Amino acid sequence: MIAGLVLVTALSTYAQPTLTPVADPKPVLQDLQRKMASVRTVYLEFTQERQLKLFNEPLKSEGVMLIERPDQIRWETTAPYQSILLGNHKSVAQFEQNGTAWKKLKLGFPQMLQRVMQQMALMNQGKLDALTADYSISVATGAVAVVTMVPKDETVRSMLASLEVKMEPDFSATREVVMNEPGGDLTRIIFRREKRDVQFPAGTFDQTKPLDIAAVKAAANHGP
Amino acid sequence: MLAAVLLVLLLAGCATATKPAQPFRPPAGMFPANGLVTQRGVLTALGRQFPLNGYLALSESGGRRLIVTENFGKVMADVLVKPDGKIFVMQSSRAFPPKWIRRHVAADLECLLGTTPATADCPVRMVGTNHFVVERRWYSLDLRTVETRPGPQKAEFFDETRAETK
Repeated sequence: MIAGLVLVTALSTYAQPTLTPVADPKPVLQDLQRKMASVRTVYLEFTQERQLKLFNEPLKSEGVMLIERPDQIRWETTAPYQSILLGNHKSVAQFEQNGTAWKKLKLGFPQMLQRVMQQMALMNQGKLDALTADYSISVATGAVAVVTMVPKDETVRSMLASLEVKMEPDFSATREVVMNEPGGDLTRIIFRREKRDVQFPAGTFDQTKPLDIAAVKAAANHGP
Repeated sequence: MLAAVLLVLLLAGCATATKPAQPFRPPAGMFPANGLVTQRGVLTALGRQFPLNGYLALSESGGRRLIVTENFGKVMADVLVKPDGKIFVMQSSRAFPPKWIRRHVAADLECLLGTTPATADCPVRMVGTNHFVVERRWYSLDLRTVETRPGPQKAEFFDETRAETK
């Protein structure tokens, strides 16, 4: 039943060349994790499209995602507003642009946000097997590789029907992540300009005074 | 007993001190009669802060529809205020129950747009271009308009029969 739902979701939301479901996703996931194991850092620019049935056009935002092993993640929205989210296994912090200065928030429910950030980091490090406790995972391959994750918890599923991670066929880069909601609304995060093993400058993941994103971008542009 | 009275007086005094003499009225042209306004806000309650996005659809004939989402796009509150002032909670969440949306989200929306009666309690201050602060006893909201797209909006926005939560 779940496999059927996953397949229908994957095919209906990704109208493109045929995808072949992989009968046993475990070896594929292990291969993905092996390939990503040597990647120390990842730099990605993204466009987030919130597609609500009511709206003619998606609500767009843009930003940068940075990941550094073992557990550092920075999710920065640069337009139409400026916000920085930083997380690791110990803590999470959020900053909002207050005119010309950054202001650190006294976050409510930081544990929930930290969990989301950690799951994002695991996904982008290919550690999908670490998520099998919370999600049923299936894989389909073709012109693109799609890893579909369906929450096992019914309460979570009432908010998030499935999560699709779309990658290059050889799993060399993440193209997009789609979060499907039960009612048909979805959030699509399209990644571009992926760079691996960038030497991030000191302060990139600082939860007290994060380094300006312009300096991080400059480092990424001069990296490997 | 005295302590309780002093506390009440103190709170009353504070409330009086922060209440502007005139209800807030936005500068002409700040909000289009028809259009879509994107806002970013930080809600502070009980010492904790919650960043939120607001998508406000405006229609002269249809009313005002505000959809509030959290960081990653989940809808926290969705409210429609018709031109006659009737409020319809279109979608609620655990964090924003229907009563809270009706009493606070809709009330603050009307204050911000300047569509409240002159006697309404509207503790809104404009602290910069497109930057507003709503200060109430139990919470405050720091709000910035980040994008304004004038133009007619879909009629479905303003159809109260499409509510997911009453």
